[in-house]
Amino acid sequence: MTSITLSGVNKSFGANFPVIRDVDLVIDDGEFCVFLGPSGCGKSTLLRMVAGLETAYTGEIRIGERAVDKVEPADRQVAMVFQNYALYPHMSVYDNMAFGLRQAKTPKDEIERRVKEAARILQIEPLLDRMPKALSGGQRQRVAIGRAIVRQPKVFLFDEPLSNLDAALRVHMRSEIATLHRNFPAASMIYVTHDQTEAMALADKIVLLHAGKDMLKHGSIAQVGRPLDLYHQPRNLFVAGFLGSPTMNFLEATFVGQEETGARVALKSGEDLTVPVDGSTLASGASVTLGVRPEHLAPVAAAATQTLTRQVRAVEHFGEYSFVYLDGGAAPLIAKVPGDGGLKAGDSASFAAPASCCHLFDGDGIALPRRDSL
Amino acid sequence: MASSTTARIVRPVAVPVLGLIWLAVTTMPFLFMVMTTFKTQQESYSSSVWALPEALDFVNYRAVLAGPFLTYLKNSVMVVGISVTLIVLISAMAAFAFARMRFRLNDALFGLIVAGMIVPIHITLVPIYLMTRDMGLYDSPFALVGPYVATSLPISIFILTEFMRQIPKELEEAARLDGCGPFAIFFKVFFPLSGPGLSTVAIYNAIMLWNEFIFAYVLTSSTSTRTLPLAIWDYQGQYSSNIPAILAVVTLTSLPLIVAYAFGQEKIVKGMMAGSLKG
Repeated sequence: MTSITLSGVNKSFGANFPVIRDVDLVIDDGEFCVFLGPSGCGKSTLLRMVAGLETAYTGEIRIGERAVDKVEPADRQVAMVFQNYALYPHMSVYDNMAFGLRQAKTPKDEIERRVKEAARILQIEPLLDRMPKALSGGQRQRVAIGRAIVRQPKVFLFDEPLSNLDAALRVHMRSEIATLHRNFPAASMIYVTHDQTEAMALADKIVLLHAGKDMLKHGSIAQVGRPLDLYHQPRNLFVAGFLGSPTMNFLEATFVGQEETGARVALKSGEDLTVPVDGSTLASGASVTLGVRPEHLAPVAAAATQTLTRQVRAVEHFGEYSFVYLDGGAAPLIAKVPGDGGLKAGDSASFAAPASCCHLFDGDGIALPRRDSL
Repeated sequence: MASSTTARIVRPVAVPVLGLIWLAVTTMPFLFMVMTTFKTQQESYSSSVWALPEALDFVNYRAVLAGPFLTYLKNSVMVVGISVTLIVLISAMAAFAFARMRFRLNDALFGLIVAGMIVPIHITLVPIYLMTRDMGLYDSPFALVGPYVATSLPISIFILTEFMRQIPKELEEAARLDGCGPFAIFFKVFFPLSGPGLSTVAIYNAIMLWNEFIFAYVLTSSTSTRTLPLAIWDYQGQYSSNIPAILAVVTLTSLPLIVAYAFGQEKIVKGMMAGSLKG
């Protein structure tokens, strides 16, 4: 059993606002779970609580069937990979990997077998006699992972392990971590990152934590689910705005009424759009926010229903796609179009906002339930 | 314009000139000392202070080595060796606690210990003398170990605490996950990683204690128990002093320190600089 269960977990530092608030979460056996969120949202603190490095919290943490709140970090059967690797600078690569096993009084031949096996998996066999200072960033990260592997833990914990690497190496190591997950299918993994690309690429489950000005939500779970569920069905404005690059376009609107096909809203710029959600709880004239992702705005030849017409302020070309910056409505918009989009600054352009790709949030920023999920 | 002139002309000339002047100021006393050791007592009085010796005569060194100098040397090595070992161990453990453990009186205790640096040792002489006498340690080299360790701890703890605060906390956490308790974290991670800081403390205190005079003078009285700084007293009378012999003693006493500093200066500088730059 390698599941992790957090029940009613709260944590504060001193008399300050909680950094972790009412976290209830189940990570299943062998699941790859990513704690995602902006800086300061408490994701590393939550990981460290699972590791046993943060104490003095309320609630309960279980690994498998066992409550581990009073269990020392070394006895939780977890292994952690730190952001800055945390390799012991005065020990060779071999000794770094063997250190934990020696502390656990593992027989010498067993230590050697495990270290060599981990080194083989991570392709660091030629580095075993080197000191950490003689390694590159990527090699150090492999050694840090190797140190975790040799302990044969139930749970792997990764605290932003790729953030010190350059972009190319980050992509490479990301795939290696995915391979590691496949090689150790029984072990659960928790991976902390603020990089949504890493989260989307690696996760079976994403836990997105709140941060920001609303201190009553800070450190609470904004949404838990599969990566594409969070992307396509964000539960609130925070999730919708955090996932996706460029970020989702938000347009202030007024609820007009509920129709057969969905809720009808009027934008401040004058257009009417229909969003396939259940707005029956809203009063006519209620303030709502319409959300539409840049990649879902498709250029069309002429204005029609379910379209937005704006002035092109600037176009950024990236070859495969372009970002089109639009002005003219109540709020600026970004559209992501294939190729160069055939647009230039100063053009007036219309973009279709397909109803199925639009999201509607009530005055409290909560997503209205989609009709297809009712 | 003015600053570029300074950079191009004044600095390349001024820096070496000032450096040479400083070298002369610091080297002259040392040259005088070594030169005089090769003069006879009579020659040292009759010739000019800066006159070269008439012959390269080791008579003063032979005289010094024929006396109790080696006993003083043995005592100094023993007292300084034991004291420095204890200072390094105790101050490293205390520094680890102050740098890494969270407890209620951490800051207050640290402040109290560091404040010990401002206590002049002279005001502690009488109580220490009385305590040493009452403990039956008076006139024993071991009488010096207690005061030496106690008076050296504040600066040593101060240096090592600052040093250990620079060690990333992730190393401590990795060690905890690897199954280390506080003692294992200290001995297997922090102590080895504090090498430059420990060297600084060891060398700095070895130099200070090697030259320590006042405690040695107050707490020991016999030739068999005294340490090197008191050796010069053997060559100083009420009415005359054998200056070349005294300087031979000083030269021989300085030699171990010069050798230690020559090999350890890089570590001393590194240890002293720890924490002064963002790394």
